[in-house]
Amino acid sequence: MEGFLEGFLTAIQPINILWIVLGGFLGTVVGMLPGLGPATAVAVLIPVTFGMDPTSAIILMAAIYYGAMYGGSRSSILLNTPGDGSAIAATFDGYPMAKKGQAGQAMAISAVASFIGGVLATIGFVFLAKPLASFALKFGPAEYFLLMLLTLSAIVSLSIGKMIKGFIAMSIGLLLSTIGIDPQTGIHRFTMGVPHLSEGIDFLIVIIGVYAVGEVFYNFLTINKEKKGPKDGGDSMGKIWFTKEQWKRSKWPMLRSAPLGFIIGVLPGAGGSIASMISYSTEKQISKKPEEFGKGAVEGLAAPESANNAASVGAMIPLLTMGIPGSGTTAVMLGALIMLGVRPGPMLFENDPVMVWGLINSMFIGNIALVIINVLLVGLLVKVLKTPAKVLYPLIIMLAFIGTYTLSYSTVDFYLLLLFGVIGLLMKVMDFPIAPLVLALIVGTDMEQNFRMALTSSNGSFSIFFSSWITVVLIILTVLSLFYPLLIKLFKKKKNDHTIAS
Amino acid sequence: MKIVKVGMPVLMILISVTFLISSFAIPKANLGNPNGPLYFPIGLSVLMLILSLIYLFNELKTMDGSYEKIKDLFDKKTLARIGVTIILGIIYSLIFETVGFLISTILFLGLLLFYLNGRKKWLVNIAVTAGFSFITWYGFSQLLGVSLP
Repeated sequence: MEGFLEGFLTAIQPINILWIVLGGFLGTVVGMLPGLGPATAVAVLIPVTFGMDPTSAIILMAAIYYGAMYGGSRSSILLNTPGDGSAIAATFDGYPMAKKGQAGQAMAISAVASFIGGVLATIGFVFLAKPLASFALKFGPAEYFLLMLLTLSAIVSLSIGKMIKGFIAMSIGLLLSTIGIDPQTGIHRFTMGVPHLSEGIDFLIVIIGVYAVGEVFYNFLTINKEKKGPKDGGDSMGKIWFTKEQWKRSKWPMLRSAPLGFIIGVLPGAGGSIASMISYSTEKQISKKPEEFGKGAVEGLAAPESANNAASVGAMIPLLTMGIPGSGTTAVMLGALIMLGVRPGPMLFENDPVMVWGLINSMFIGNIALVIINVLLVGLLVKVLKTPAKVLYPLIIMLAFIGTYTLSYSTVDFYLLLLFGVIGLLMKVMDFPIAPLVLALIVGTDMEQNFRMALTSSNGSFSIFFSSWITVVLIILTVLSLFYPLLIKLFKKKKNDHTIAS
Repeated sequence: MKIVKVGMPVLMILISVTFLISSFAIPKANLGNPNGPLYFPIGLSVLMLILSLIYLFNELKTMDGSYEKIKDLFDKKTLARIGVTIILGIIYSLIFETVGFLISTILFLGLLLFYLNGRKKWLVNIAVTAGFSFITWYGFSQLLGVSLP
């Protein structure tokens, strides 16, 4: 409780309030832009956090993250173009609502839904984080290695249909992480005699390269095929507040979806995209009027919006308590935190309670600020959406270059940035998931060190990986995650057979 | 287009083989387990090699599939946009430290905007370039204390 109050006092310092509002606003803006999601938003804005106090930095990054979740649905509703995976579900009913002239109402309800999801999940955070951190203290190297393995295999299997490509992306990420001096023995690996490589490839450059530069390159493919906003409804937003009836219909779906999204967010590998999809299909299944879904049912918009915001808060729990990011965006945040000298993990709660509780409190304040920003400034935000992409993309490229420079003060990294931009582009064109690469690159070094430490402590015997109930559970979960796509396929087939039979 | 579809897995196979061969060239460690630094690189390159072979096999099986995205990439205009951005980026990297942040940024951003956004919108281009360059310069070097050349 003491920590909570202290954190609250930290969060309401004027400078932190400023970062919360600024981060939330910037996140909303970047999240709104078609093709750009929270990972890109955080990646591009990383340099802003340098030189900041770590607590303010994490508050700012978190605000950018959930701000992007608020913003993501704007372009889904108005343009039918989701900013990223977690905003896809918002197009199903959000865009039909906009076509019916209810764009304003749709945006208001999605902002309120995001708010409810965010706040309920933050309450969940308060109760879950501490016990989980204490639990994580029981983890030794073997457990950590297996947990990372589970996270990686989960994030790959959840990109259904791309498993082979996902595992290739993961292997590349892990191999890239071995470049440089091996911390245990001091041996140079894959440095090809280039001194610049002896410290390894800076993962932040890879992140900025694939997420910012690669993303812009990829958008060059479709820059001339840009979707125009609804012709009639572009300026006429309709009412900017939802009706009582709409509230009644979406109240329970929002409240149900928040805990659902939160739990999915905490799980390794799953994130906002999966949370919003599951909540959408759940609501559709239990609805009394499933036929209205997809035609502008307000609860079909509210539920996934609440779920994806809750998931974004939940995703920060494994990041902070175990130091293991479960998604692309939290991986980016971990990268930035390491740069700032913060090592998230179970000890963070003991060593730096002010940071953790400051962050938690900032999330309450941030969600309040964002719902106000998103409802009151809706007109201004819609104008931002009209910023031509051709002006915007050069600016993102510029920010990527500046960000890279602030990392190492060396222009050598500019070439790496461009190289990873091209790699990111190729991966996107060939349908490779990006998150496994980034996640693997960030946890790779730790994963290898933990693996070897575990083996050293057991004198080289692999039995250490079966020595506690935690390791056994982790192994079972990893194996299950590998078969998850297969299970889904079987399940779907059975369901189809069933419907055909009846 | 088919060549790209097969080219990607072949490239992956080459990368994994390169990593595998260079893994064996990693010197033995004097500290701890002499083979310690080798396990991960070798294991991973073998894993990646196997996966890339499966990938190649999958691609060969689906050669009749759609090439929508690859076609979009090899559209002349797309390639030109990406190419120009990369070339400007390289020039930027070369002149950044000699002519300084402000001038090189104005040049890079200005040229890129004129190229992508068109000459007709020169006023917007110039305003955005000037505004952005100055704000980032001021923000980073004055407010955040990042030393820029």
